[in-house]
Amino acid sequence: MAEIIVVTSGKGGVGKTTTSASVACGLARRGKRVAVIDFDIGLRNLDLIMGCERRVVYDFVNVIQGDCTLKQALIKDKRLETLHVLAASQTRDKDALTAEGVKRVLDELIAEGFDYILCDSPAGIEKGAHLAMYYADRAVVVVNPEVSSVRDSDRILGLLASKTQRAERGNGGVKEHLLLTRYNPRRVASGEMMSVDDVKEILGLDVIGVVPESPEVLAASNSGIPVILNDESDASRAYDDAVGRLLGEVLPLRFLEEPKKGFFARMFGG
Amino acid sequence: MMTQPVDAAAPAPAVEIRFGQVGLIQVRIRSTDPGAILDELTGKVASAPLFFQRTGVCLDLTALGRDPLLEEMRAVMDVVRRAGMLPVGLVGGSAAVESLSATLELPVLAPFRPQTQAVPVVQPAERAEPCMPTLMQQQPVRSGQRVYARGRDLVVTATVGAGAEVIADGSVHVYGALRGRAVAGARGETGARVFCQEFRAELVSVAGVFRVFETLPPELAGKPVQAWLEGDDLRFSALGT
Repeated sequence: MAEIIVVTSGKGGVGKTTTSASVACGLARRGKRVAVIDFDIGLRNLDLIMGCERRVVYDFVNVIQGDCTLKQALIKDKRLETLHVLAASQTRDKDALTAEGVKRVLDELIAEGFDYILCDSPAGIEKGAHLAMYYADRAVVVVNPEVSSVRDSDRILGLLASKTQRAERGNGGVKEHLLLTRYNPRRVASGEMMSVDDVKEILGLDVIGVVPESPEVLAASNSGIPVILNDESDASRAYDDAVGRLLGEVLPLRFLEEPKKGFFARMFGG
Repeated sequence: MMTQPVDAAAPAPAVEIRFGQVGLIQVRIRSTDPGAILDELTGKVASAPLFFQRTGVCLDLTALGRDPLLEEMRAVMDVVRRAGMLPVGLVGGSAAVESLSATLELPVLAPFRPQTQAVPVVQPAERAEPCMPTLMQQQPVRSGQRVYARGRDLVVTATVGAGAEVIADGSVHVYGALRGRAVAGARGETGARVFCQEFRAELVSVAGVFRVFETLPPELAGKPVQAWLEGDDLRFSALGT
């Protein structure tokens, strides 16, 4: 049975698209059939992060408006054969999205046999964000350990619990998960940054993963290779753990402590 | 509730007259200086816009000590509207107030405290109004959400987030952290109270008397706290002390 997962946050720039790309790859790497859709009409980024921006012929809005078939618009990932990307339109805006159109596309993806459909939400709480979450079964709410991100995520959690199809029908509601990104253990230890426990206390939810701040994330966006595919990075391992937990595995949280420098690194700087 | 008897042969009426109870905010006018009224009311509305914006208010003239002139009253009503509230009635027992009410086209509502004049008696309801059970909110109240318990108490067994509002005509009880706004006695019940398990509120109000917390006093911050009205003063104390 297919599962629709929305990756949302409220606040912009916290790591939704980075997370959508890495989680999609992580699931596909484990053999799942995954489709990841960019809902940020007019400001599309998912295709850049996935590295397929020069292969976008048809986009999400084209499919909704019937200009092409879903198969024509889906872009197959070159690295993982069970992963497909549906890019957003760059020339339109969010008014081109309709609830019925979105439902039709999601139903068609489910009929095609996809196991997971990831909806990469735009920032904010307007139409694009609303439609990205409306049909979701699960939500990954991306939060930075910082006050405005936490406040915006609280708002988003309220909307997930009230303005989604599952909430309106009363059949269980959307299952909510928190993903903490850009976590910096050194700043948490010095009291500059909120800790995992602080965020959990304010939002009242457990975290499904903590992704440390890493320079590899920028390199990954620039090269179009989702960071989870870079085995040398702590962020990659953290995302892989998060994917495992999404699939029901029980894994301890890692990367919450400052990495201890080895003897040589301390002696000679590193 | 009393309704007019209907003649079976008559066509269905366009309107129905019923008697009911409505709670109204009372604005007691102590001076007719429009500038002062505008400043004070604008401040009140700004501190709790969702609570006060476009709310119906009754203008109580009994504290003026004299009968205001028509032009003074027009100026007062103008500034009340400009502040964001809507005058819907007058309170005052004199003939001058009766005449003002006719010219301004506002009803003279029965005074809030008993006066020497006879107040018309409304037939008591045939059925006793059923006692409504407390409104229970088990889910966290998230930023931007608002929960209102009409005619009863509100119990929240989760957190009230910053930027959220919990409102009740009765008392508000939060068995969790209160980080947003709590309003008890929303329609004037002065005996209502606010209780919470972890006090971090942005604003607390009982029967319209409110206090905004820009900083949390150390004796209350993070503790179980109750708030109640003593006369016109909003009091706070840590529970268990």
